[in-house]
Formats: sequence, C-alpha cells, structure tokens
Amino acid sequence: MDTSSPAALVNAEILRMFLGRRVRTVVQVQRIEGGMVFGQSTDGRPLTIKSAMDIPVSHFMEVYGIAENDQTIRAEVCTDFGPNFDAKAFDGLCKLASDKFKHLFL
Amino acid sequence: MYGGGGHYDGGGGAANANSLFGGGGFMPSQSTAVPESSGGGGGGGLSKGRNAQTLLPLTVKQIMDAAQASDDKSNFAINGVEVSTVRLVGRMLGKIERVTDVAFTLDDGTGKIDVNRWENESSDTKEMADVNDGNYVIVNGGLKGFQGKRHVVAYSVRRVTNFNDITHHFLHCIHVHLELTRSKPRLPPQINSSTATPAHANQVQLPNNQATAFPASGNTAENDVSSLIMNVFHDPAIIDREDGITEAYVIDRLKLPVDLVRKVFQEHIDAGNIYNTIDDLHFKSALNG
Repeated sequence: MDTSSPAALVNAEILRMFLGRRVRTVVQVQRIEGGMVFGQSTDGRPLTIKSAMDIPVSHFMEVYGIAENDQTIRAEVCTDFGPNFDAKAFDGLCKLASDKFKHLFL
Repeated sequence: MYGGGGHYDGGGGAANANSLFGGGGFMPSQSTAVPESSGGGGGGGLSKGRNAQTLLPLTVKQIMDAAQASDDKSNFAINGVEVSTVRLVGRMLGKIERVTDVAFTLDDGTGKIDVNRWENESSDTKEMADVNDGNYVIVNGGLKGFQGKRHVVAYSVRRVTNFNDITHHFLHCIHVHLELTRSKPRLPPQINSSTATPAHANQVQLPNNQATAFPASGNTAENDVSSLIMNVFHDPAIIDREDGITEAYVIDRLKLPVDLVRKVFQEHIDAGNIYNTIDDLHFKSALNG
C-alpha cells in the first residue's frame, strides 16, 4: 500500500493551488496540435495538456500529470472518457475533494 | 442509492453482483453506527457484528488512515465503524495472472493498494479476463491486514464502462463519510446556542436510559434547564473532577437565574442524580460517575 504520490482532483481554478504537483482532471478536447491537446476544463477555462494521447475532438479526456503552470498539465496517463461525461458533477467533486473533504483524498 | 447493483454492472458481473449485494441500498445502518467522539479514544465504541459486513465505499487514503481495531488484528475502523467489506474504484496496474488467482494493484488517485482475486469458478476467471492494466475497475471485496500491510481480497472486479461511476464513487465516499461522522443529537435540541459553547455541540450525548431518569415534573422549560445542568455535569472536562462542581459554577456557566438553577438542583438532589462531595456546596453526577 502506498499513498506517497496522490493526485489531487482539480479543475482549472484549483489547479493553481497544485503547481508542480501531481493532479488529475478531466478536459473536453477542443483541438489537437503537435502532441498538445487544447481543451476546456470542467469549470469552463482553457487548459493545455502536454504529451497527451490522441483522443477524438469533443470527447472528455481524463489526465493524470504534473501541473506545470496554471494552464498546463504535463500528462502521465490519459484516459478517453468518451463523449458523454457529466463535467458539472466532476467539477463539484473537485471542489469538495480539495476543500472540506481533502483528508479523504490527500 | 442503488438497488441491487444494476447501475454499476459493466457486463458479465451482473448475476454475481446481484447475488452478493442484492436487496437495497448500501448505506450503512445508522442505528448502531457510533461516531467517533472528537476527543475520544481510538479503538473504543466500534459497532460490531452484522454492520461490519456493510459495504463501505472508500478511498485508498481512508483505508491507509483507518485505525486497526486492537483486539482482532484483521479488523479496521473508519469513522468509528468496523470495516470489512469495501468498494474501491481506480485503475488496475501490474496485473499478474496465476493458476488460482489474479493479483493486481489498484490506484485510485489517492493511493495504491494490492488486490487479490481468487478464481474458484469459471465465471471468476471470465470476469478477470475482461479487465487489464490501465482499465478503471470497480472492486468490491474484503479488507484484510497482514503484518501491517493492508490489502483487499476482491469478491468482484468489474470494468468501468460509464466513467461517471468514478465521480459517483468519490461523491459516495464523501456522502457515507458525512453520514457516519455527522453528530446525531439524541436529546431534544434544547441547547440554547447563546449559552452553549462550541464544545457543547460535540459533547457526549447521554444514553437514553439516563435521559429518561431525569425528573419528569415541571414544564418543558424546566426540563430543558434540567438537561442543560446535567450536560454541564457530564462535560468531559468536568466529569472526572474528584470534588465535582458548585451551584455557583453552573449558574455562571449557563448564565441562568439563580432561583431556577437552585430549584432544578434540588430536584436533581432529590432524585439522586447528583450528590454532595467534599462539602455542602460541591456536587457530582451519580449518573455517569
């Protein structure tokens, strides 16, 4: 058992609190250019994912990675969550998991 | 809540899951779940028996933080509730197929934990063939501890096909955590917020048999004062004081009229709820002493 490198559940807003650390988020893919995925966070802001895998535009993509800056994540693992994902519920979860219930996650 | 597990079934596991977990929601029973008191000792007051079978949705972090119940090394307590059956949702890593079982590591983002799945029947083997490294899986299983290391023996491992199940699982963890930690006042909500310190809110709740031991005479307001005064006596900071407390202390603390407190005090003395200690002025509760 190992909880040494947890990934914080974040949206774009919360990403700023975890710069340089492992995070986990979901973005809706808008365009892909040269291995970079430009997407929209669950709270409606632009996020850039480096070294992401190819995922169809408009699909939701989950990203585990390192928060490079407040708009960029360097991906370690990506998962295609498909075109139907409840971004709003995930966004709500991010808020709970980084605030009041942080102790359950980090 | 879900009924019968149909919501989570990602294919072949349906029959298996229904036979294991069929019949109603998974929210742990509230009646005997004991919330951990804020200052209370770790291992005490676990709910026992059947409740330990209740399926609890958890994060790996919660399992890591779980206290090991002292008497039986294979039992754990989370939020004061004995835990043995858990649900985890995360990514499968390092899957190793052996002759009789499959071992893998589950990473749910909060931590990693080893999982074993024994393959007793062909349906088990079929279920495990459906999931591979990198897949999100829903694991239901028993939480085990061995030589300080915690692992899960899975009863079912199902691939996540609807990724909202991941969000849902974590929200479910939060919900159940809230249910188990929420203070459940058993006494009527008579504690006046203006007189109660924050410590009062978390104060030990009197078991019902003691609450009913209070004199039933007098109007409702007096009964409230009566409980308020006994609450002062049962304050954890006071209950262990050898010489007890004085009437003046109670009056000062509750900011109540002297006459009223004196009257209720006398009732408690007459009923045998409180008794004199070092002198005529000091009293201690007979109920929890």
